[in-house]
Amino acid sequence: MRDPQSRSVMGAPHSMLFVSVCCAALAVLLSSCSADLPVQREAQQAEERALAATYSIVCVIHGDGDYLYHDTSGNEYKADEEALAGAKRVAQLNPHAEVFIFHQRPRRHFLLLFPLHDGEFYYYRNGRLIANESYWRDQEQSHFDPEVGLYRRFRADYQREMMSVFLYCGHEIPEVGGAGYDASYPDRTFTVHDLAGGLKDFTRHSARFDLMVLSTCFGGTPHTIGALGSFARYIIASPDNLHLSYFDLRSLERLDLSFRDGDVPAFAKRFAHQAFDLLTRDLQTTVSVAVYDVDRVQEFLHSVHRVYDHTLTTLKEATPASMATIEHCDCADLPAYVLPTMNEGVDVFYRPARFGRSKHKQTHSGWECWREIGPQDATSRSTGSRLFLEQ
Amino acid sequence: MKGATMTARIAFGSIAMMFILALTANADGKGELQKYFNDAASKVKATENPSEKRTILNESFQTMSNALDIVGRSPSTSKADRVGIDRFKATLQEKQDELAGSNGYARVPDGQLNAFSLYVVQDMEQADQIISISLVTLLLIILLIVLLVR
Repeated sequence: MRDPQSRSVMGAPHSMLFVSVCCAALAVLLSSCSADLPVQREAQQAEERALAATYSIVCVIHGDGDYLYHDTSGNEYKADEEALAGAKRVAQLNPHAEVFIFHQRPRRHFLLLFPLHDGEFYYYRNGRLIANESYWRDQEQSHFDPEVGLYRRFRADYQREMMSVFLYCGHEIPEVGGAGYDASYPDRTFTVHDLAGGLKDFTRHSARFDLMVLSTCFGGTPHTIGALGSFARYIIASPDNLHLSYFDLRSLERLDLSFRDGDVPAFAKRFAHQAFDLLTRDLQTTVSVAVYDVDRVQEFLHSVHRVYDHTLTTLKEATPASMATIEHCDCADLPAYVLPTMNEGVDVFYRPARFGRSKHKQTHSGWECWREIGPQDATSRSTGSRLFLEQ
Repeated sequence: MKGATMTARIAFGSIAMMFILALTANADGKGELQKYFNDAASKVKATENPSEKRTILNESFQTMSNALDIVGRSPSTSKADRVGIDRFKATLQEKQDELAGSNGYARVPDGQLNAFSLYVVQDMEQADQIISISLVTLLLIILLIVLLVR
């Protein structure tokens, strides 16, 4: 039997030889790499530049409510599922974008007992799905903490250099009250103020979103645009009702790489125009799409701030019975809002309903307000009185 | 005789409860109302005769209006629901008036009846007054419609 100790002593020169050979090979390898390094680095950088996201799109889809609609052939659709499919298409067809999709779903239970996640998150980059996670939405309050947490975890570091878009698809976001917005959580409230709080967190480390798309009914009120305008340069919203088929998102597919800062307003108008065209093709109800240049509408918003706040106070105190005497209307129908600055910074695409009492209203200011209708007006409206006669 | 009446009432009550529970579990109230108007629109589209189209639309409004009347008069209906029901009824009345050309409305032309039936569906899909009616009341309305149509 050999002495193990002698074997280790005998093996030492071989080990040293082996290490030397490895070092020499590594040195040759490194030197060969270093000879080509500038070329390779440039190629890598070029590849990274090509793959770098130029657009950042955040899409929140509310699906916890009544979102059923029918197309002109009578086929049923779920608005949130359709919006989700549209957002995924945008994500997949944009090789230069990162896209965050938050699908807020109804509360469900497994075997009627075990609660399931009520949110689903998708993160796409360069057209590829990078992450897909289920998450819990805030159970008590309608804050966006879980969504903001996911956003921060995945977002690219160079946010400031990207064109950013925020999309919200859902029902009318209440300006006051807001209980019952989530069908699964009837006691929870959700208002414009809550969305503004979420946007504040989304934009904490970056500038405002370049563009915000509010795919909701009655998004173009002075309060909503005022509250959300702190977080976006341009807002696209519907001042009147918006059908649940929402705004067409196809303008966001295959975004042009040459997009520059100054193109945002032009793009916003193109987006609004395309959405308007599609809605008017299929709908018999009123279609209104407005683009708000947030900086340019500030003067009007300041002018009407007090009078609109007074209306909101009335709404806050309204009982279900008194709510029957309050309705949405074009701000242009109320003298207090008819100011020289009213049309400043607003581009409106509008077509009245084909039927009904608003059939003959040919224009819309782009601003939606509230008006009180007296009991007599309410009665006469309900019986189709001369107030809304066909001309 | 009295016993038989009671049994019938209990049976009817049980069926109604089961129906409501099944609907509550499987559907949302507003969605069911939308389907009701969508079905009417599909029938209108499938019919060539304008007067039949008008009858289909008018009957759909009338059936819904009757169901709303019954639920609205029920003592168990809350005040808030009654407000929602009244607003919903007013909306229906406007559509009925426009269809017939009464109360100052111009009559919907024969050639536009298909489009009008679509308008009704789309308007109902975005009607906020329906949202203000509670789910239980909406389900009661749907139950009544089912019974009234039969």
